[in-house]
Parts: sequence; structure tokens; C-alpha cells
Amino acid sequence: MDSRRTPGSLEQDVLRALAAAGRPLTPAEVRAEVGADLAYTTVMTVLARLHDKGVLTRRRDGRAYAYQIADPTAVTAQRMRQLLDGDDDRAGVLTRFMGELTEEDERLLASLLHRAESEDER
Amino acid sequence: MIGAGGLVLVVTIVFAVAGPPLGRRLPPAVATRVLVSAAVAVAAATGAVLTIAAFTLIGQIPQIADAGRWSAQVVHDADPVPPVLAVVCGLLVLPAAGRAIVLLVRRLMAFTKVQAACRDHPDAGALIVLDDDRPDAFATPGLRARIVVTTGLIRALDSQQQRAVLAHERSHALHRHAWWILGADLAAAANPLLAPTARTVTHAVERWADEDAAVEVADRRLVARAVGRTALLLRRSTPRPGPAPSAVGGNVPDRVRALLAPAPEPRLRHVALLAVLLLVIAGGSALVSERGRELFAHASVSRQHH
Repeated sequence: MDSRRTPGSLEQDVLRALAAAGRPLTPAEVRAEVGADLAYTTVMTVLARLHDKGVLTRRRDGRAYAYQIADPTAVTAQRMRQLLDGDDDRAGVLTRFMGELTEEDERLLASLLHRAESEDER
Repeated sequence: MIGAGGLVLVVTIVFAVAGPPLGRRLPPAVATRVLVSAAVAVAAATGAVLTIAAFTLIGQIPQIADAGRWSAQVVHDADPVPPVLAVVCGLLVLPAAGRAIVLLVRRLMAFTKVQAACRDHPDAGALIVLDDDRPDAFATPGLRARIVVTTGLIRALDSQQQRAVLAHERSHALHRHAWWILGADLAAAANPLLAPTARTVTHAVERWADEDAAVEVADRRLVARAVGRTALLLRRSTPRPGPAPSAVGGNVPDRVRALLAPAPEPRLRHVALLAVLLLVIAGGSALVSERGRELFAHASVSRQHH
């Protein structure tokens, strides 16, 4: 797919792939996930940089390292979750991807997506 | 003074009614910038006009006139605003200022809590993955914005759709959408007539991020599917404890419909119309404050002659 990368997006994409895998990945596996258009060394560099920052941990897996998301990130995630469960004005400061749907919204949305998919098939 | 104040009131009502539908016809990035700037200006203008009107009565209290070194008698004789109207203005402006201050304090406290939660996270650009079954993604405010996604969202979407969600959140972070929303909400807190404008801004900000995501992944339908799928999944998952952020996320069917249509074109006519309204309101409130200044300057001079 023809797409452009904005600054920081590659790091996030690598982390997304690691989170989706749910297990340590080697650079080759990460590259297969985030896009074969990237050079192997680019993926290596990003992984090494994230490791240096403490975002990732790694262990030897044969000749390469296998990387996974580090625990300090989990600590931040835990705090984030407490924040979401709180009842202060968090909704006003966090820009969420999605809000709650009403029943009517749900029906409308389902029919929109259905129509879009049948158009795609044609 | 009454004439200029009335003009400000009329333009405020015109903007409150016409602003949201005009904004919905503009590309979302333009709509957000124009509507928030206009809403803040309108709220400030109405606040200033009400304050000045109330002060024509407050300024007649002898102790206040002494402290301000003007003549209470001259202000009373000039009587540019009927006392009943001045009282009404005062009763309107005080709670308005209170609401805006409470909202600002609450937002800043929430902002501080979010910053504190991120304090040990090593990198600004990186992603925080929350182990949670509910599909959710958001960007934190602040100069070093973080993007948070849940494992529930990652499991629910394929890798292309995940990329679309990340691109959407990056747009929120990059363009500081939380601050645009704060501006609109503050204006609406100070002037409840602007509540529909604030809701339009919340929706426009989501559309803005959707459009940016569509450009980044080069596929509008992919973003539409990611938005629609996440919304339907969220509807079926167990609700999070605490109050539901109902105003969050914009109108989802509208977002999907817009993404299935071609990208919106800028319409100069609508921007121009909003600009004219803004000019009139700026002129009207400038006139009111000039009359107020003249009144008290005149009262000060008179006092010195006594």
C-alpha cells in the first residue's frame, strides 16, 4: 500500500506490532509485521533506539535479539488505567478515538458499513 | 452604550445559531480553528459587555467610587444603563465567570494527573499499551503527548486498521486537539448559547484526525472501517466504571459517512461569513468598552473639579 510515514510513526508502529504479537519478536519478524518496504537495518536501528530508551527489553534468540515491551511501560499503563477509572475531568483532556454509541447510532453505523462493503465487492 | 451592547447580543445569537451549521460544511481543520477562535471572541465580548453594564451601577456605590476616584453622582446622572438591566447583567456575568473558572481548574487538574501518570514513561513519541479488553485509544495532552492503545483494540483490528487508529491519535497529539476543545468548552461555560458550537468543535476535531489518518494510510475506506468497527465493538463490551464521556468521539455515523465520501473542499464563502460576524462583534464590544471608559473618565474629571 502506498503510504507515507510521519515522524515518530515508525517507532509507534514497531511497538504496535510487538504488542499485537504478545511475545518477543526478532527484527526480521518485526519487519514482516510493519512493512517489508523497510530496510532490515532501519528496523534494527529503531529497535535498538527503543531498547536504549528503556521502552523495550531484549534477550538473545539464536544469532539475533528478540525484543519485547519493557515493564516500566506497564507501570505507566497501570497508572493510565487508574486515571481512566477515576471520575475527574479526564474526558476533557484525553482525545479519545471513540465515544459511546446510542442504539440508533449503532443501527445507522451497521448499515453504512454494510453498504460500503457491498460497494467494495462490486 | 445600549445600542452597541444590543448589537453584540444580536451577533452572539446569530453566531450561536449559524456557527455550528456553517462549521459542519467546512473542512474539519478549518472549522475547528475558525469556530474556536470565534467562540472565544464571542464569549469574551459578551462577558466584557455584561461586566461594563453591571459596573455602571456598581460604580455608583460611594465606597467604590472613592476607591476608583470618580464621582458617583456623575455616573448616576449619566445613567447609560437602566439599573434593572445593570443588575440583570451582573447576575448573568458572575455565574458565567464562575463556571469558566471551575472548568479551567478541573481541566488543569486532570491535565496534571495525566502528566503525572506518564512521568516514568521514557519517551514522548512512543506508544503505551494498556492491558484492557475494551477497545480504546487516546492521546494525552501536553507538549510531549503520548498515545495509549488497549490490547482489546489491538486484538479487534487487523494491522492496517491499527495503523489507521495510530495515525488518528498522532493527529490529535500533533495538532494539540485537547487545547482546541478546552477553548471551545471554556467559551461554552462562560456563555451557554455557545454549547452547540462546543459540541460541533468536539466533532470537528475527530473529523480532523480522521482526515489526517486517511491521508497517512492513503485509504479513506480503511479509516472508515477502523472507526466503525471500533465503535461497534465498544458498544458490545462492558462499560467502563464512572461517568460515560458522552461528548467524546464526535458523532460516529457522521464520521464514517464523511470518510466514505470524497475529502471535503474548503469553502471561502462560509469562512468569510464567520469573519464578518466576528468583525461586527469585535466592533460592538469595542464601542461598549469605549463608552464605559468615557463615562468613568468623565466622572473622574468631574470629581477633581468638586
